[in-house]
Amino acid sequence: MARSRNAFRVEDADRRRTGVPDCRAIRLALAVCVAAIGLAGCQRSAAADRIGDPRAGAIAIDRMACGSCHRIPGIEEADGSVGPPLAHFASRQMIAGVLANSPQALVRYLEAPQEVVAGNVMPNEGLGDRQARDIAAYLYTLR
Amino acid sequence: MRSSLLRRLFPGWLLGMFTAALLAGVFGALLLSGLIFDTSASSQHSKTFAWAIHLTMIHSVRERAGRQERPDAARHASLLNGAAAYARDCVACHGGPGAARAPWVSAMLPTPPYLLDSSSRWSRAELYRLVHDGVKMSGMPAWGEIEPDQTISDIVSFVQQMPKLSPTEFARLRQQARPATPDSPTAIGAQEPSTFSSASSPS
Repeated sequence: MARSRNAFRVEDADRRRTGVPDCRAIRLALAVCVAAIGLAGCQRSAAADRIGDPRAGAIAIDRMACGSCHRIPGIEEADGSVGPPLAHFASRQMIAGVLANSPQALVRYLEAPQEVVAGNVMPNEGLGDRQARDIAAYLYTLR
Repeated sequence: MRSSLLRRLFPGWLLGMFTAALLAGVFGALLLSGLIFDTSASSQHSKTFAWAIHLTMIHSVRERAGRQERPDAARHASLLNGAAAYARDCVACHGGPGAARAPWVSAMLPTPPYLLDSSSRWSRAELYRLVHDGVKMSGMPAWGEIEPDQTISDIVSFVQQMPKLSPTEFARLRQQARPATPDSPTAIGAQEPSTFSSASSPS
C-alpha cells in the first residue's frame, strides 16, 4: 500500500518534469465516462447508495425482524406474510398505498409508519435516522 | 481375489480415516479455542449457519409437537387471560399489532420475531410446544417451567387470534391486562365476552 503510493508520487513528479500528458489519467477518465454512461440506466441504485449503506441496511432489516412480516429478497428467513412483499421495491410506485415512492418518503415512513398511515399494524421500531436510511438503501437495491 | 483387493485397499482406507480424524480434531480444537466462532451477538451468523440452525429448530419443534396439551385446556382457553399473559410475558420481545418490541430486543441475535403470522407458520400443537418448552440458545424461555399449562394454552389461543386485532384493540387489551396481578385474575376474565366480540370484528 505504502509502496504503491510512493510509486505514484514518483511518477507524478516525473510527469511534471517532462510535461508528457498522462496517458493513464486519460484512460482513467475514459473509463469513468463509460462507466457513467453504463450507470445512467441505474440512477436509482446510485441514489440508493447516496441515501445510505445497503449492507448495513440488510443487517438492520434482520435485527428489526422486518422479515417476520415481509418477504424480502436477500434477507435470511424473511418470509413473512403479514405486510406486502418487498421484492422490486425500487420499481414500486407507492409506499403503503399513500406515499409516492421516493427515498425521502420511505425514510419518513420507516421512522413513523403509524403517523403516515393511521391504524397501521406496522410498528414504530424506533429506528434512528441512520438505520432508516440504510434500510431504505437496501430496499432500493431490490429492482 | 476379493481378499487380496481388500488387503490392497485397506492401507488407503486407514490413512483416509486417520486424516479425517485428524481434521476433525483440528476443527474441534479451533472451535473450542474460539478462533473460528464468534459468540458475540453483535456479529451476524453466516447465511448458511443461520439457515441450518433455523431449519433444525423448525424440524425439532415439528418432530416433538406431540399431544402434551390437555384437550380441555385448549377448549377452555381464555383469550383474555391469554392477552393478559401475553402482555406480561411476551410483548416485550415479540411486539404485537402496531406495537413495537422493547428497544433492546433488536440487539438480540437471533432476534425474536413478530408473531402476526405465526398461526400460518405453526399448528396449535407446535405453538404450544414452542411456548411451553422454549427454544435453546435463542432467548426463548420454557414458559411451562414457570406458568401453569392452562396459561400456556391461553397464550397460544391469544397468539392465534392476534392477527385479527387492530392496533387500537390490541392497545386496549394491553391496557386492560395491566392490573392483572396474580391476586385479581378474574377482573379480566369477567369482561371477556363483550371485549372480544368487538376485537374479532374486521377492521
